[in-house]
Amino acid sequence: MMALRWRLVALLLLALPVPGLAATPLPGDSVYLLEDAFSDQSGKPFTLAERRGKPQVVAMFYTSCRYVCPLIVDSAKGVEHALSPAEREHLGILLVSLDPMRDDTAQLASVARKRKLDPSRWTLARTEAGTVRRVAALLGVRYRALADGEFNHSSALVLLDSEGRVVARTERLGPVPDPAFLAAVKAALATAGSP
Amino acid sequence: MKRQLLALAIALPLALAGCGRDNPNAAMDSRDAAKTRAGSATPGDLGPPQGEPINAILSSPPMVPPATGRTAPAKVIVNLEVKEVDMEMSQGVTYTFWTFGGTVPGSFIRVRQGDTVEFHLNNHPDSKMPHNIDLHGVTGPGGGAASTFTAPGHSSQFTFKALNAGLYVYHCATAPVGMHVANGMYGLILVEPPEGLPAVDREFYVMQGDFYTTTKYREKGHAPFDMQRAIDENPTYVLFNGSEGALTGDNALKANVGESVRMYVGNGGPNLISSFHVIGEIFDKVWFEGGTKYQENVQTTLIPAGGAAITEFRTEVPGSYVLVDHSLFRAFNKGALAIMKVEGPENLEIYSGKEVDSTYLGDKAASLAPVASAAAATVAGTLTLDDQVKAGQALFAGTCSTCHQADGKGMAGVFPPLAQSDYLAKGNDALIGVVLNGLSGPVTVNGQDYNSVMPPMSQLTDDEVANILTYTLNSWGNPGGRVAKDEVAKVRAGTERSEGAAH
Amino acid sequence: MRRTSALLLCLAPALAGADAGWAPLPGGEFRSVLRYEDTGGVVKVAPFDLQRRPVTNAEYLAFVKRHPQWQRGRAPVVFAEPRYLERWTGPLQPGPLATPAQPVVQVSWFAAQAYCEAQEARLPTWSEWEFAAAADATRADARSDPAWRERILAWYSVPSGRPLPEVGRSPANLHGVQDLHGLVWEWVEDHSAMLVSGDNRDQGDPDQMRFFGAGALSMDDRENYAVLMRVAMLSALEGRDTTRNLGFRCARDPLPTKGKTP
Repeated sequence: MMALRWRLVALLLLALPVPGLAATPLPGDSVYLLEDAFSDQSGKPFTLAERRGKPQVVAMFYTSCRYVCPLIVDSAKGVEHALSPAEREHLGILLVSLDPMRDDTAQLASVARKRKLDPSRWTLARTEAGTVRRVAALLGVRYRALADGEFNHSSALVLLDSEGRVVARTERLGPVPDPAFLAAVKAALATAGSP
Repeated sequence: MKRQLLALAIALPLALAGCGRDNPNAAMDSRDAAKTRAGSATPGDLGPPQGEPINAILSSPPMVPPATGRTAPAKVIVNLEVKEVDMEMSQGVTYTFWTFGGTVPGSFIRVRQGDTVEFHLNNHPDSKMPHNIDLHGVTGPGGGAASTFTAPGHSSQFTFKALNAGLYVYHCATAPVGMHVANGMYGLILVEPPEGLPAVDREFYVMQGDFYTTTKYREKGHAPFDMQRAIDENPTYVLFNGSEGALTGDNALKANVGESVRMYVGNGGPNLISSFHVIGEIFDKVWFEGGTKYQENVQTTLIPAGGAAITEFRTEVPGSYVLVDHSLFRAFNKGALAIMKVEGPENLEIYSGKEVDSTYLGDKAASLAPVASAAAATVAGTLTLDDQVKAGQALFAGTCSTCHQADGKGMAGVFPPLAQSDYLAKGNDALIGVVLNGLSGPVTVNGQDYNSVMPPMSQLTDDEVANILTYTLNSWGNPGGRVAKDEVAKVRAGTERSEGAAH
Repeated sequence: MRRTSALLLCLAPALAGADAGWAPLPGGEFRSVLRYEDTGGVVKVAPFDLQRRPVTNAEYLAFVKRHPQWQRGRAPVVFAEPRYLERWTGPLQPGPLATPAQPVVQVSWFAAQAYCEAQEARLPTWSEWEFAAAADATRADARSDPAWRERILAWYSVPSGRPLPEVGRSPANLHGVQDLHGLVWEWVEDHSAMLVSGDNRDQGDPDQMRFFGAGALSMDDRENYAVLMRVAMLSALEGRDTTRNLGFRCARDPLPTKGKTP
């Protein structure tokens, strides 16, 4: 029944190639199939599916992380700076907190301010603990909470195409982006951008 | 000076021709320099792969894939499957083996130094365990183990360059490593030197392993793995190629006389070191530990757990040759035994088989019955020729046969023959004289010269001498005749005994 | 998923089925085989309930009937790989290879999570599972007994070509829980928290950037191969993976005394 309804919608929308609108069902390997709720650094709720249409560089972090997480931000910034302004327009950067207990909205906003992260492009998100585990599983991120509030976690930048599929990942962190990953980002932007 | 010239003389043609492993010690440096491309920082790196990627030919033991025959580095794709299989380890005894390629040991991989190997490890969906692989020929973390951790129903891929020639073990390195190896997860990868290995007639793949079960040796039924025995290093079975029947009976290795044989021998362990020996053969060459140098004329070679060796020999004589771990109780009580059957013509000069089977008179009295009856007959006056011959035969054995042999043929150049000997024509008195007084100095018998010393046998009685000589005259095609007791007495009285001899 | 959970609240007892009984576990301090630097190997497990037996095909069938998005063919591949429920004859017919009382296998972590959430429950954490599994019939912690280890290793060495036994055949342990060993591997909530290198020989050699802080993990009690192998297995898996030997059971925080289910 559901499938039929979607097909009708799809038929109707065929004449209107509006990029970003959920005209067709998400592909089976899309991370955006996770329907859980998130909220960003301004407190606005969203679902992952709303990010459809623009390739995303996604990572997981937490604000009280002193060592690797600043490096994660640097790495995403590095990718951002290596792109042309036109390319940058079509990229989204999503950082999901591993520590929703302590990373409340205010905390996320504070980090975004401190690191001068452009809100039109950067989303610092939090969600419920169960969802954190699910997102991590979808992104291939492994983590463990330590007794002192820190986390052990693998550190990766994951590239999602405009349909939310994982198309590349890198564990090479630092302001100079992994060339292979950067190339993948550019390729994704080239296929997604412009109607 | 001479050595240096020799070394140079060897090194030059080797460096130019790039062939032969015959004197590696002298040629090593010049050969390495010739082989390593200019500008390549890593020794053993022969440059980028050339040509189309090749799918590696893997073989099941005891077969070995053919030589690569390549002269340039290539990209080689290896697909190796991991399967957990129940198989027989001994007749009526099954064991759950974890295998590479469905066999223990796993498939044999053959590449050339400098090859880029794209390795695919495929873990069958029926597997219960995740598995990975550590190849000792890989330069890189874990030997590949970190990159190939594979859940059941999944496949992992990693790529490495074979920088070092040699024969290397590969094995699973998933926790607990000892258990995975004890269950049979090991095999060999041969990285040929750039010039290849010299051709031989036969190549074989043999790998030893120790196995630990909760059941006793040869106790029928399914044999579960015993972790405590493994920790105690107390195997139930020590086997070549994973089972007692792997290389025996119909499955014995086969070769012909006059062939060159090369064996790639590995030891998967997990615990024991092997003292590898082939009964009846000597290894002409052993590339000990599977490396570049070889030793010659080796009887038994040590193969470390997690190590390998290449042995070469020629087959000269037909028969069954038994491969063993010379820690003998493993061979005969735990199954570390394999057979190589060599067929072809005999070569008696090298090995004659049993030559003499003389009676060893452990207990003289028992065999001297004819002597007693002859003595009785003499007293009774009824002594026949036949009595004498029989008595003489009993006495001949152990006394005369020691030198003249039981068939009277003697030993060429050393002890003259009695069989069809022309010396017998000299007559009874002369013969009696030889027996009583010995004979030394040059003598010609049947056209052959002898110059030996026969000690006097004057301790023999007249009867005994008479009977022995009668037996001699009537055996082995000799003309016949008879020697009587009083003839002996007469010669005894009429000739002198030498110093120290009995009267 | 969220919309239906409210609906299921009333249906939970019925859905749970006759045999999905819960056993209460006392929790306590516990020596884990995974010795993390920050805990020194000692883990505090809060009291929790654990299902006595793994989830069966019958129970899972009931679940996919009520949650069609989890039927085979409909569950997106990002949540369940193509071999999800492969041996069932059809999306709603387990068939002869998946009898009602056999543990359900070839289910992914996402699917297992969804099932447990539908029961107002969750997957057990590794620590909870390890705690429950350490017990035998008479002792809370039987892990130092070589016989305990041998029994477990015996199962590991049997290949999975044979049909799975039904749940509930093995004797219950001290806590009243069955089949923690000898039947199927089981999912835990935090299997991805096992920051273990696939090669367990490089214990002292962490790749710092790849697994930040993983140098803090070591496998205590190397003799406890039985548990080591379980850890190796779980850390090899991704959330969407399934295998023929991997099932699950649910856990939950203890209900307030006036609980609904037995």
